[in-house]
Amino acid sequence: MATIRGRLTLGFAVTLAATVAALAGALYLERRGSALRELDRRLALEADLAVQFLGQSYILLGRVVRRSVPAIESARDTVPVERLQLEPAVAAYLEGVRDFLLVADTAGRELYLTETTRTLSYPVIERLLALAAPGLGATEGTLDASGDQGPIRWHVRRLPRDGSGIGAVLAAAPTSDVPFGPAELLRSIALVSPIVLLGSLALGYWQAGRGLRPLQQMTEELEAITDGRSLHRRLAVAGQARDEVSRLGATVNGMLARLEQSFASLRRFTADASHELKTPLMVFRAGVERALTHPGTPPESLEALDETLDQINQMSELVDALLTLARADEGRAPLAVEPHDVAALVTEAAETAEILGAEAGITVSVERPTGPVVLEVDASRIRQLLLNLITNAVKYTPAGGQVRLGLEDRGWQVAITVADTGVGVAAGDLPHIFDRFWRADVARSRTGDRAGAGLGLAITKWIAEAHGGTIAVQSRPNRGTTFTVVLPRGHAPAVAPGSEPRPA
Amino acid sequence: MKILVVEDDKTVGQYVQRGMEEHGFHADLVGDGLEALRLASGGLYDLLVLDVRIPGMSGLELVRTLRDRGLTSPILMLTAQDSVEFKVQALRAGADDYVTKPFAFEELLARVEALGRRPKELAPPVLQAGDLVLDTGTREVRRGGEAIDLTPKEYAVLEYLLRHKGRVMSRTLITEYAWDFHFDPGTNIVDVVINRLRKKVDAGHDRRLIHTVRGVGYVIRD
Repeated sequence: MATIRGRLTLGFAVTLAATVAALAGALYLERRGSALRELDRRLALEADLAVQFLGQSYILLGRVVRRSVPAIESARDTVPVERLQLEPAVAAYLEGVRDFLLVADTAGRELYLTETTRTLSYPVIERLLALAAPGLGATEGTLDASGDQGPIRWHVRRLPRDGSGIGAVLAAAPTSDVPFGPAELLRSIALVSPIVLLGSLALGYWQAGRGLRPLQQMTEELEAITDGRSLHRRLAVAGQARDEVSRLGATVNGMLARLEQSFASLRRFTADASHELKTPLMVFRAGVERALTHPGTPPESLEALDETLDQINQMSELVDALLTLARADEGRAPLAVEPHDVAALVTEAAETAEILGAEAGITVSVERPTGPVVLEVDASRIRQLLLNLITNAVKYTPAGGQVRLGLEDRGWQVAITVADTGVGVAAGDLPHIFDRFWRADVARSRTGDRAGAGLGLAITKWIAEAHGGTIAVQSRPNRGTTFTVVLPRGHAPAVAPGSEPRPA
Repeated sequence: MKILVVEDDKTVGQYVQRGMEEHGFHADLVGDGLEALRLASGGLYDLLVLDVRIPGMSGLELVRTLRDRGLTSPILMLTAQDSVEFKVQALRAGADDYVTKPFAFEELLARVEALGRRPKELAPPVLQAGDLVLDTGTREVRRGGEAIDLTPKEYAVLEYLLRHKGRVMSRTLITEYAWDFHFDPGTNIVDVVINRLRKKVDAGHDRRLIHTVRGVGYVIRD
């Protein structure tokens, strides 16, 4: 289960199930023990009473055992057997005993079995008789007669040799006879515990929810704070309650304060960096541009000056990209949107694509609606996006390849595609191409091209997203790459209306 | 037209001042906010080019004060900050336009011209070199009376070279002018455009107007 609430509920349920199981086990053992003790007391009493009765009968009658008429009684008897048996008059009294009762002679042979005892199977009777044999020490125990009766408890009383001819009296009863026996108890437990468990599961879920409500509240408050613009807000923490949740709240508040501070210093830094980096660049630029356009500059210096100016431009571009991304990280997107004809911007970019393509031996085609496609955009940023994608496509497409530029008006959104038949991007590299400072294997680009700083696609992605749009890439190695930028209609960027377009 | 340039960095200040003078403006340079306030309050200047960070008084404060005093001359601000919130602040304070540092002089010049509403004779809409005529108003190009059809980039490159007729313009300067300032094609895209221009402008004519200066750039001569 994913949520703490779920895990807590599950934890409750498991604990409760274990408790119920332990309780049931203990109850079962206790109940079984006491039922058996009860049974034992009864059997001991029955055996003692029978011994007492037989003893008194012997004293009164002088004889309790008689010799039977010889007869063949079972298949094992080959000749008529003469057996000893209890006087029927005495035996009749013993019939009143509720449990199994067995009387054996001094040699351990059967003298008498009560009516109920005779219902037992022959092997069980044999084994009970063996227990009544003289000379054995045990006076009570459990006979495992599984398959027939289940366990049978027995008590035996051995009589002193007083001439009566009776050796032992054995009383026995199956443990399954015990009222509310262990098996029944187990059934009851099995029936009741699922209901108890289900009920407690529901109760536990409710309680966990109640216990976690302050956390839920805190999460909602935090979500509202961390949208990027509300770092000055703090969680409401109950002052007195020093419980776990309010301690957590206080800790989070401390963290928010530090976060706000570091965001503020980052903001200060980007503002300072703008000035500190751009002013010297401006000074370079001013000097180089003046020298470059001054009629008195010797022609042999011009080439070096031009290369310097180009480097300054690259440096300016890098600084601009870094500062833009730094600001974008703070959620302050410096976009200046106005209604613009995106189709015109695409056409304009297409000409550049065609010029770049002509030089590299690549065919460039454009597909766009004939009419204008007006959208609220920052024109110079969209121009930058298009040129970034185009230079990228041309750079990674070998001579003889194609670059297709597409614009599609889907009504509620506008899609710009830049597709090439170039070297493509390896599947493993694809998730990283929008990362800052990420560069594909340099060997893959056409030789002679200068490697960029690796910010182009990161900026391109930011431009698409700052317009409320998306950028997606599809690529197959050696087959080509397609970038698709989707810009929504009617998206209002975070920039205040009335802001001016940025100078081109 | 008289321009007051307020910029504390000498290199940048002189670059703006001299550039303006080369294009026929009268330009004075001061490096201090209070000095600028004193000079500008006199109403002697038709346009102010103002850096945001200047000693004595901040650029924004200076704009606000000047507008409070009833100054109506256009004000162009120079700033290293390109955040939208700053630009909005500058425009609300009373500035008319702004240029983000580092800027190319051509851009500053174009904005100054647009704000200054220069008299027509100072900005001839028709550029000429030999029998090549380019009308910046209608964007029509003719050579010897024959119309030449140019793409937007070809037009931009030709216009730039014609504006600086007789002067060698480097590839980077031409790229900056014809494309977005931040565009870095990584190759000499200008060479391709020049080749096409040659085919349209010079082919079939005895006199070649577009000349290559090896290793540097191009120039148009009469």
